[in-house]
Amino acid sequence: MQMAVQNLIETHNLTKRYGKALSVNTLNMKVPPGAVYGFLGPNGAGKSTTLKMILGLVRPSAGAITLFGSPMDEKNRIRLLTDTGSLIESPSYYGHLSGEENLHIIQTLKGCTKSDVDEVLKIVRLTDAKNKLVGHYSLGMKQRLGLAAALLGFPKLLILDEPTNGLDPAGIQEMRELICSLPSEYGITVVVSSHLLSEIDQMADHVGIIRRGELVYQNTLESLHAHAKEQLALRVSNMTIAADLLRQEGIETQQEEGWLLLPMLEDALAAKLIRNIMEQNISLYRVEQRETSLEDIFLTLTGKESSL
Amino acid sequence: MKTLQLEFYKIRRRNVWLSMFAMLGIQLLWGLWAMRNPKDWELASGWMSLLYSLSVLDGLMMPTIMSLLASRLADIEHKGNTYKQLKTLRPAACLYQAKALCGTIILIVLLALQAAFFILYGYCLGYEGNPDLHHYLLSYGLKFASCLSLFLLQLLLSMLFANQMISLVIGLGGSMIALLVMFVAHYSFLPWGGILSSTLVGMDWDKTSRIITYFYREYSPIETAAVVCIFVWVVVFYAAGHFLFTRREA
Amino acid sequence: MTALQKTISAERIKLRRSPVWLAFFGLPLISAFFGTNNYRMNQGILKSEWLSLWTQHSLFLCFFFMPALIGTYCSYLWRLEHSRNNWNSFLTAPVSHFALYFGKLFQGVLMTILGNAWVFLLYFVCGKLCGLTTPVPKAALSWFLCGTLGGIVVCCIQLTLSMWIRSFAIPIGIALAGGIGGLLITNKGLGCFYPYSLYPIGMRANNPNMELPAGQFLSGCVVYILICCAVSVWKLKRGEG
Repeated sequence: MQMAVQNLIETHNLTKRYGKALSVNTLNMKVPPGAVYGFLGPNGAGKSTTLKMILGLVRPSAGAITLFGSPMDEKNRIRLLTDTGSLIESPSYYGHLSGEENLHIIQTLKGCTKSDVDEVLKIVRLTDAKNKLVGHYSLGMKQRLGLAAALLGFPKLLILDEPTNGLDPAGIQEMRELICSLPSEYGITVVVSSHLLSEIDQMADHVGIIRRGELVYQNTLESLHAHAKEQLALRVSNMTIAADLLRQEGIETQQEEGWLLLPMLEDALAAKLIRNIMEQNISLYRVEQRETSLEDIFLTLTGKESSL
Repeated sequence: MKTLQLEFYKIRRRNVWLSMFAMLGIQLLWGLWAMRNPKDWELASGWMSLLYSLSVLDGLMMPTIMSLLASRLADIEHKGNTYKQLKTLRPAACLYQAKALCGTIILIVLLALQAAFFILYGYCLGYEGNPDLHHYLLSYGLKFASCLSLFLLQLLLSMLFANQMISLVIGLGGSMIALLVMFVAHYSFLPWGGILSSTLVGMDWDKTSRIITYFYREYSPIETAAVVCIFVWVVVFYAAGHFLFTRREA
Repeated sequence: MTALQKTISAERIKLRRSPVWLAFFGLPLISAFFGTNNYRMNQGILKSEWLSLWTQHSLFLCFFFMPALIGTYCSYLWRLEHSRNNWNSFLTAPVSHFALYFGKLFQGVLMTILGNAWVFLLYFVCGKLCGLTTPVPKAALSWFLCGTLGGIVVCCIQLTLSMWIRSFAIPIGIALAGGIGGLLITNKGLGCFYPYSLYPIGMRANNPNMELPAGQFLSGCVVYILICCAVSVWKLKRGEG
């Protein structure tokens, strides 16, 4: 991966301990500019805690955070937060105020203009409901208002924690398209967390997978897809000899639970190799075509027992 | 019954008991301080004066304390937005009854502890004789009813308005009104005057000798009506709360 | 706009549509009515006109109602952030922690000042209505100023408590207890060391001589205000632990 450009977010051995429990463990996250970074992990894996530490809402027990190349500390906090929009957990709002008034609060604090408010309202399609009290909004509308608040001032970095929570399928689709469009249309880098692989798969171009507080995978989505390949699995009477034979043909194999695993082969090559094996008097019991899906990779990385 | 248990389960760790005991503690301290140096003539009518002082103390503080208690019980649900969830699990009437009963039990414990403490204190100070059981029981019974009416009123307000400031300000205002009434009359039909109406003891203050004489009040018809009114309030507030809570849309 | 202006106007927007100031209007009104009534009933013993009227106006207000009322308002101010996930957005606003706290403090102090001014206005009006002909004592200005300063101390303490304690009612209970406790402690002459006593001392409530140990009082106020501000900002900085 080309690393000439400075990462927007970098964490170095970020750790959070609550009592004895390690919520986040030596996490090194790298979010390149212009990315939609999918932060993936089962519920309770430490996603929110990590994002909260990045925003300065929770103090790290150890490790360092760098945003836009500057350390996230008391001195830089205000400047860094000015360039950051966030939506953490469920949306924040004052129920006795209208949607527009809620945005005016954020607008005042961020120091942006009234026309920005109108624009983000338009983006999340709340212009018609802007005078309604937020307490009377549906969950999806509240979520969209939260996104509007995060978008206010068009920050360089947007941190969204489970933004599709509570949305209906149409709303999820809409949110997804909106998030995908942010880097190209507004030059915003997005970090979006989710416990659903399919969701990240459709939105992100970079992915970090967290499991029990540890980052178990981090790369582009493409390279995650590269893992998701098809394999041939053979069951033979003598695996060692068969493996040797295959190696002579330049094919690397793995042995797993009595199966010999080899990469997907052309039909002709497969036929030839099978013939070779049989000629050595090795019995061939089964030939299977196997697929490891993204889902399988995710489950392997995060541990089956802890995922939904 | 199960709903009631749940109600108590929910207030674990919410310091409801602790905060109520703290309120009781303040009452005790105030009482201790106010009654600390009894004069001889005060010792003679000590048990009567105790009943009187407690009425003043409760009349002033109970409207506020009850608003705190009701707010604590109701606010759990506002905070967690759990009304919707609970209503799908249990009939609304059941929930309301459980909350009301939960508060009632806490109130009974509170009053019992208060009575026990002050009677003990009375003995320590050396009040002559024993407390007059009949009057003490009657007094506490009526006080319980008055407090209950206040609690039910506050519960109604606290559940109806998510903004707890409304109910607490009304509670504080109630204390003020009680104070106001206390200085001008011996009875009142207002809910906050119930404790005053049920003060069984009256007093006379001799300006020259600065001696207070206590006596058991003779109830005129209108004063009796004010006492009956306490029970009317209990029924009205219970019914109103029940009605509004079961009808309320989630 | 500076950060302070930002947070102040943000807080002002949050208070829209919730007429909580009505409480500061209504409760002193009841209290003044009560005090005046009590004064008129006992004019036989209460001979010092304006001073006597003040004793009746101030006693219960200072030790009982005002601390609880200020406490209620402070609880309300922080409840806005305690409910839902508002802490997250509150603390990610690009302003300093001090400015965030100051926004709240400004609203609390403003309401304390207005509330206290209203108390005094009612006092003058009631005095006139009672037919007091002597001029209003000049010292009343000092009662007002010192009382307001004492009220600000209560406000600071309550803001700190209400920020720390997520419950709405518990800080108010503490204010109530604090106010009543103030009656005892002021009587012992230790009032200037006890935050909830500073308000009644400043107001000269329950104080027939209308004296004020100025040095002690002022330093007590300043110390408590500074402590509360420091603790609050420190707590905000610490975030969720």
